[in-house]
Formats: sequence, C-alpha cells, structure tokens
Amino acid sequence: MKTLLSYLGNLKEYIIFSALVLVSLILIFQNDNVQIRFVRVIAVNVIGTLQSGFSIIPNVFELERENKTLRETNINLSKELSMLKEAKLENLRINQMLDFKTRTNYRVASGKIIGKTLIQTRNNITIDIGENDSVKVGMPVITDKGLVGKIVATSGNYSIAQILLNKDLKVSAKDQRSRVDGIISWDGEGKVRMKNVSKSADVQMGDIIMTSEYSNSFPAGIPIGFVTTDGTLDNLFKNIEVECFVNFENLEEVFVLKYLSDDERKDLEKKFNEKTK
Amino acid sequence: MMLEYLKYGAIMLALIIVQKTLIWLIAVTSYEITPDLVIIGLVYFAVKKGKITGSIGGFASGLIVDIFSFSFIGLMALSKAVSGFAAGFFNNQQKIERYLNTYQFILIVTFCSLINNIIYFTMYFQGTNLVFADVLLRYIVPTTVYTALFSTIPVIFARRRRFTR
Repeated sequence: MKTLLSYLGNLKEYIIFSALVLVSLILIFQNDNVQIRFVRVIAVNVIGTLQSGFSIIPNVFELERENKTLRETNINLSKELSMLKEAKLENLRINQMLDFKTRTNYRVASGKIIGKTLIQTRNNITIDIGENDSVKVGMPVITDKGLVGKIVATSGNYSIAQILLNKDLKVSAKDQRSRVDGIISWDGEGKVRMKNVSKSADVQMGDIIMTSEYSNSFPAGIPIGFVTTDGTLDNLFKNIEVECFVNFENLEEVFVLKYLSDDERKDLEKKFNEKTK
Repeated sequence: MMLEYLKYGAIMLALIIVQKTLIWLIAVTSYEITPDLVIIGLVYFAVKKGKITGSIGGFASGLIVDIFSFSFIGLMALSKAVSGFAAGFFNNQQKIERYLNTYQFILIVTFCSLINNIIYFTMYFQGTNLVFADVLLRYIVPTTVYTALFSTIPVIFARRRRFTR
C-alpha cells in the first residue's frame, strides 16, 4: 500500500495535469458551437471506424446469443408467415363465396365445416350453423362450385348434411345440353353415377349435369358435375360416371340454401301414389 | 510561500487584464495578431515552480481568459494548462537562473507558446474553410513569433538588473 501511495505521489503532477485536461475537455464539450459540433462529428466517425474494425473479431458469446435470437425470430416469422398464408387462402375462398352469394336468387347461410367423413359409404359433414341460423332439415348444401348435399339433422348451433358421396342421397338430375333426365347417386366407391338413362339417350363426355325440376329437395339448375365416362351398363341403360364439381377432400366452407320443397306438391304426389297402389 | 503565490496570482491577473483590454493597440497584420502576455508570465512561474504550478496556473488563467472572452469556455484553459505543464519540465533548481534570465527563456516561451497556439487555433478553426496550413501561417506562427518578441522584455530587464548588481 505504501509503495502504491509513494508511486502515486511520484505521479501526482501527471494526475493533476490529467484531471485539469479532463475538466477542460468537459468544459469544451459543454459549448454548442460550430467547432464542437464538427469535433463531435469527427469523434463519432472515429469511434464508428474503430467499432467496425473491432467487429471483425468474432465474439463467441455474442454470436451464440445472436444465433439464439435469430432462431427465435425465425420461428416467430415462420408462424406469422403460415398464418398470413392461411389468411390469404381464406380470404380468396370467402371472396369467391361472397361473389356466389350475390349471384344466387335464394337466401343463404354460410357455415364452416367442422367435421367430415369421407371413408365410409354414408359420408356426412358437420356444419357450425343450425336452427338458430334458420337451418332446417331438407335444405340443400352448396358451394360456389356446385351441389354438396342436403341437411339431414340440426341442433341449435350445428347441423349435419349428407353429401353426394353418400349411398342414401339421390338427386334428380339432367344433362344441361341434351336435357336428358336421370338420378344421381353413389354406390359407395368411385365416382357418382347418373342412373336411369336409357341406352339411346344423347349423353356425351364433358356434358354438364345439374339438378332438375323433378327434384323435390333441390331447386333446378344447381351444377353437380360433368360426364367422364359414357358406357353401356346393360341392354337398357347407360353407365354414366360423373365427376363432381365440388372437391370434398378440401371443402372447408359451404352455403345452406334456405329452400324447402313445396309441401303441397309433396302431398299431392303422395296421395296419388297411394291411390294407384 | 502563500504570499509568493498570491503575488504570482496578482501578476497573472494583471497580465490577463492587459491582455483583454489594451493589447489590441499593438495588434498587427490583417488578422489582428497580438502577443500572448499571459503565456509569458505563465512560463516564467512554471519554470520557477514546476509542473503542478504550471498546469494549475495555466488552467486557472486560461479559464479566466475564456470567461472574459465569453466564448468557447475551456479551450484556452486546456491550451494554457498543457503549455504550463510543458514549461514545468524546465524547472531545474540548478538551471532556473539561466532559463529565466538568458535568451533560453525566449526559446522556452516560443516552445510553450507554439504548443498553446497549436491547441488553441487548431480547435478554434475547426469546422471552417481554413486548412491547418492556413491556420499555421496566419495565426499560429505569427502569434508565436510576436509572443517570443515580447518575451525578450523580461530577459532584458533581468540582464540590466544583473549588470546593476
């Protein structure tokens, strides 16, 4: 300690001088004139140059921390990107649906599919709208592309619809070009078929099939699909395969058409059928 | 001891007052070059008393000059502290008389004045269009030479005093 004090004692001239220089510099930098501003600019440049020079030397700890931060940022940005992509696709779908909504003559309720089965012979979808949205059993379910199916059960906030890929659903349909009638149904595998079409009927590949006026459940003119196979089933009927316009694999949003079949027509047809039996 | 320092302080104060009030009467060249009387006094006391007296005296006298000139506070204090400290290096008990009473004093004043002027004028003309060569030729060298000329006065007085004895 004594040695240190004596060493400092020997340096006292320099210590005092340094202190005075420091005080002078502090006083100088308190000024706000052109010269000091210029000196500040020089100082900033010198420090910046030195810092950029030293930045070449890698700091392992700093790099590790930077790496961690970058990884976190990367994950966050990926999440954000994924969300934005999802939002963009949703936006496109909703825009298409809104466009359809303005085109259709019927009142519609839009819903999101919250459940779906596609591997059974009786496939259904569950929609997040129900009786509270005036959805009733029997109402057609469609998209801007075409027919999806029909509501078969409802609750307050949910409903279940049979889709075209369901053995129990049968739809009266017709060829848009030749006006040939038939019944659309699914056999539990492959594509849907248009049945009850006579061998001599004018049906060609590529013809558009849509719902017909004979249907009790669906309004006429809803597109269903197009003919992909036009073959012969037996001596009387054709084997017509139809590719649905709606892709059930990636279906996410649907419309429920606020359309119910005419009860008067139903009753009349029922009474007539009973009489003829 | 205390009285001696008070005497030095009074002389320095007098020199500062003359420097700030009457010196313009002997200004030369279009750049109004004047001798620096304060540095002559400062070098005299620093050679006599050492580095600490030189630096503290330089700082204090420089600060007073700064305050009187109302601009750039601290610049003259810095340049005078450095030159006072430099003058303190000539504080040698065996050579004090020679340093103070011969032409060597003029050389020491020239050296210290040069340090003082380089620091002061270089900083003072920062941010202007003048390059260092201009500042050197227009201000630093003329002021140093003019101050050196004035430093002959105490040497002449000292020699006369010696001859009288």
